[in-house]
Amino acid sequence: MGCYIRNIISDDDVRTDIKLLIPEATVRRRMSRVLKMAVTTAVECCQGLERMATVDAIITSTGYGCLADSEKFLRNVIGNQEKLLNPTPFIQSTFNTVGGQIALLSHNHGENITYVNRAHSFEDALLDAFIQLQEGESRRILVGSFDEITESADTILHRMGLFRKGIKNGEGAVFAELTSDLTEGCQAEILRVAFPHRVCTEEDCRVAYASGTDTKVIMNTWTRTGCYPTVTSRSLCDSVRHIESGEEVIICNTCLGMNSTVIILKGL
Amino acid sequence: MEIVVSGLGVVSALGIGTDANLASLLAGQGGISPRPAILSTGNVLPVGELQLTNRELKEILSLPAAQTVSRTALLGMLAAREALKDSGIDPKSNVGLISSTSVGGMDLTEHFFADFMDNPSKGRLSQVRMHDCAASTMAIGEYCGLKGYSTTISTACSSAANAIIKGCNLLKYHILDAVIVGGCDALSAFTLNGFKSLMILDRDYCKPFDAGRAGLNLGEGAGYIVLQRSEDCLNPYARLTGYANANDAYHQTASSPQGEGAFLSMTRALSMARLQPEDIDYINAHGTGTPNNDLTEAVAIQRVFGNSIPPICSTKSYTGHTLAASGGIEAVFAVLSMKHGFVPAELNFHIPMEHQLIPNLQMKKADLRNVMSNSFGFGGNCTTLLFSK
Repeated sequence: MGCYIRNIISDDDVRTDIKLLIPEATVRRRMSRVLKMAVTTAVECCQGLERMATVDAIITSTGYGCLADSEKFLRNVIGNQEKLLNPTPFIQSTFNTVGGQIALLSHNHGENITYVNRAHSFEDALLDAFIQLQEGESRRILVGSFDEITESADTILHRMGLFRKGIKNGEGAVFAELTSDLTEGCQAEILRVAFPHRVCTEEDCRVAYASGTDTKVIMNTWTRTGCYPTVTSRSLCDSVRHIESGEEVIICNTCLGMNSTVIILKGL
Repeated sequence: MEIVVSGLGVVSALGIGTDANLASLLAGQGGISPRPAILSTGNVLPVGELQLTNRELKEILSLPAAQTVSRTALLGMLAAREALKDSGIDPKSNVGLISSTSVGGMDLTEHFFADFMDNPSKGRLSQVRMHDCAASTMAIGEYCGLKGYSTTISTACSSAANAIIKGCNLLKYHILDAVIVGGCDALSAFTLNGFKSLMILDRDYCKPFDAGRAGLNLGEGAGYIVLQRSEDCLNPYARLTGYANANDAYHQTASSPQGEGAFLSMTRALSMARLQPEDIDYINAHGTGTPNNDLTEAVAIQRVFGNSIPPICSTKSYTGHTLAASGGIEAVFAVLSMKHGFVPAELNFHIPMEHQLIPNLQMKKADLRNVMSNSFGFGGNCTTLLFSK
């Protein structure tokens, strides 16, 4: 058994009308921007709610969670002196809101978990899925990530000095359907998810993880695409799109003051 | 492969450490106070608050008074340190940490935000650096000197129970040799007002499974257990024989009338442990005291156990609902109950609810071979853990 990527897409790839992806109007109306972004990506990735209903586990990841709703509720608490508060943003501020919504929409009663570990959130989710698939505990897993930019968080992160030297803020959602069996249409195999407990250079990655000299090493894509906690998921999504059959790709990411993470991929 | 519990650490409204918490549970003495004394809020509502300021907590932890640390992390450090010490394992070996939280550093962020709202160039940045959930985990790991893999989970009120499950997987597949698992959450105006806006806070002390229950009391604390593979631990407290994470898939905050998620998590955990319902000697219930949760949990328990329901207690009548920490605190309580052979008495219970699920009313000495602990949360998350002698 292995860990194969059957499909992986980002929020930029969602083409289907949101009314088809999330049929209930009242549910759509209540959803915040990040919720819509993440949930539509998840449904599109599974090619509909019916296929989503049958995945064995739903594993989501986010560094900062649903920031806009957290802020909305916090502003109300402070601004209204703790009186007459609308509970909707509080309900939607929890980190597992996306995972919960996906389960709710597709009536999926399987395992449902959310990793919230800053720049490692997505890689932790991926490791969890990788273990479950390799060990035969699950056959199909939906793994995803989401983070959103808000005006306040952008201001605060700028004040902290995060976006110097041309580094931009970023956001996005990525969802992947992973399977334990190699089936027609699988795009790549995940060979390993590693946490080296240090900051790695490209040379370090080559020495420690590359199986040959033609291995492609992709370092820190956040310096180009924007810096946010789950940016590695975007890097994985782009890499799978361009990977050639038989090619080995190492994705190494180091950001937000944490140690490096390494994902090793092979094109199918 | 068997996974065993080799260390315990807990902080709650009952105090710091397993001794203080155990003494209160045995004596039937709750820790909920009539109103917050340390949290700054205008709400007069009962809370399960640890009666020590952040400054006092830092002193106990030998941290500099000037260091800005979220209360969530301070509570976590106390409990994780105790669990690690109790297990006797060397922090420099391949020991990991799977922590969980639902509010993260919100207790600091809400102070920052009051200034920031007036003027976006105001507010001390040190008060917002610990906002994200990972910050508390990183602070705890650093404080305990841990070197192994570490991560953070947040699935609302089932968070710590899920952290415990994920710790098992990392041991089974030899990514770690020992792991501290559990959760931490401090009281914050954000969560207190959040649950108030949902109208599920009892104005009085919470009354799990009582007909007159009117909601939960919010609490704070941290609970961690140390897990190891059985071959690496000579004298464990208990074995973790079963667990399951299922989703109710019914509503974002409410649970289904048939308690489908809870039914699934309990039955899947039993089947993993190869145990029958009659093998369970005590259920540490989720039992928040909200009309919805307790009814659904009772229905689900009746579906699983039929007419022979084992003794039940929700220790939230002692600690309040400590959100992400609750699964960790209650795992510690479940193991303590097993070790010391007792079922705690439910507090504040007077009138049975319509489903006639009557919790254990007098502290009862009993040999407990298998104990079940339930944790359910927003987003339909339902997790059950099974500890065995």
